[in-house]
Amino acid sequence: MVKIGLEDLYTDIILDYAKNDRYKKEIPDALESEGKNLSCGDEITIYLKVEDNIIKEASFKGHGCIISQASAAMMCEYIEGKTVKQAERIFSEVIKMSQGKEYDEELIDGMDIFSDISKFPMRTKCFTLSWHTLEDALKKEKGS
Amino acid sequence: MLSSKEYERLFPSLNRKINGHNLIYLDNAATTLRPKEVMDAVNDYSLNHHANVHRSTHTLAAEATQMYESSREKVAKFINADNNEIIFTKGTTESINLLAYSIATSKILRPDEEILITTMEHHANFVPWQQVGKIFGLNVRYYNCKNGIFNLSEFLDYVSEKTKVVSITGLSNTTGQVIPVQDLVEAIRNIRKEVIIIIDGAQTVPHMPFDVKKIDIDFLAFSGHKMLGPTGIGVLYGKKEYLEEINPFLFGGEMIDKVSTENTTFNILPYKFEAGTPNVDGAVGLAKAIEILENIGMDNIQEHEKELTNYAIERLKRLDFLTLYGTLDESQQSIVSFNLKNIHPHDVAHMLNDLTGIAIRSGHHCAQPLMSELGVKATCRASFYIYNEEKDIDILYDGLKKIWEWLK
Repeated sequence: MVKIGLEDLYTDIILDYAKNDRYKKEIPDALESEGKNLSCGDEITIYLKVEDNIIKEASFKGHGCIISQASAAMMCEYIEGKTVKQAERIFSEVIKMSQGKEYDEELIDGMDIFSDISKFPMRTKCFTLSWHTLEDALKKEKGS
Repeated sequence: MLSSKEYERLFPSLNRKINGHNLIYLDNAATTLRPKEVMDAVNDYSLNHHANVHRSTHTLAAEATQMYESSREKVAKFINADNNEIIFTKGTTESINLLAYSIATSKILRPDEEILITTMEHHANFVPWQQVGKIFGLNVRYYNCKNGIFNLSEFLDYVSEKTKVVSITGLSNTTGQVIPVQDLVEAIRNIRKEVIIIIDGAQTVPHMPFDVKKIDIDFLAFSGHKMLGPTGIGVLYGKKEYLEEINPFLFGGEMIDKVSTENTTFNILPYKFEAGTPNVDGAVGLAKAIEILENIGMDNIQEHEKELTNYAIERLKRLDFLTLYGTLDESQQSIVSFNLKNIHPHDVAHMLNDLTGIAIRSGHHCAQPLMSELGVKATCRASFYIYNEEKDIDILYDGLKKIWEWLK
């Protein structure tokens, strides 16, 4: 079995995403959803601008570790331009990946830089915080 | 103090490898490692003597009762209390909840009187008072520890003829600041004699000698698992006159005297506060833990930790990318809290674990009001105990430098 080390988690790509401020902003008049990791004190707000069922713009604000910030930035980049339904499917596959289950690699192509997250159970919730917050936002969008 | 080899024999976890490195356990403020002797004592009780206590008339029941009560005696002697002033609980949190509810339902406070706590408390000594205040309409005042540092004279400005209860930590679980409890008690009693003074000893009792009679406090709460004992066992010490005055918190078996459909009267102390079958395993384990600590000597433990804490402060001060919190002087013991510039504590803690085998805590340490005072959401916390040594801090220092180089 291949040993998974820190360098598999803290890759240059993930470090770059964590530093990338492109998606770290508020979007006025957007749909908002807040998520928290109670035990860590981490908080995140997701902003979604949805028009004709398509996510035109996505962003986030909040604080957290490198993994949570990179995950949020990558998520925003990934779901922009997708329909709400596609985003729901992406969410579902990402969660499967984070749990070490089989997932549709094609549907979340590129997200595999986080595919080892399930080997770090202490950090899984850092990775999934933004995604669970997205799930909540998508529910709000469908309910609106 | 014992040698590294002796500690490795006493604590099997110290022989563990973490990602190829020897485990260095610096998360003692959360819980301490378990000595084999404590678990042997618990096993011996469980396997050979287990029965319900104070109830049946057979050999096992007599042995179990004797073991449980001799554990109480051990705890009482350890803090210089009387046996009937020691109530076994699940831990510090339950001890303080018990007290908060019992004081509230006993209507001890006049409508204009106040409960005084501080913003440096961990949630176990903050939320119960805040919540019983809301539920029972009691006045709760908060002394604001500016920059997370307790200042005795500023605190005393909050103490007045209205103050009825003061509940305060003996040692901050985040900054490691030791509160001058003896001075505090004397000063409070000079302002108002009848104040009920409660010390949250979760981080104090495991780390220094503590004499409830000498200090003259009214209540003391602490946990077994932060002083080598098992989880699920804790202690509430109370002055007999107060324990007799306040209502019990839990009702049920063992805590009763006479029960009829009209009324119930309660058992004598300490059983009045120990409803249900108690955690005998925990009590037996805690007694063994106290024996180990006494053999090392509480004075020696305090001295060792002070030296270690000073050493850690002096070394970590040299890292210019690091912010240290707290007083950073002799009033700090057993805990060092810090952050690396722009790096989240979770990343630091995870990397320390994998790169060096060091276990620290990262997060808000269940002390969110204190985090607000420090102006942060979370910190890294290294906390020391008997088995830690200077070389652990050297490895921490090198590990932090490596992490900074990687993530800066």
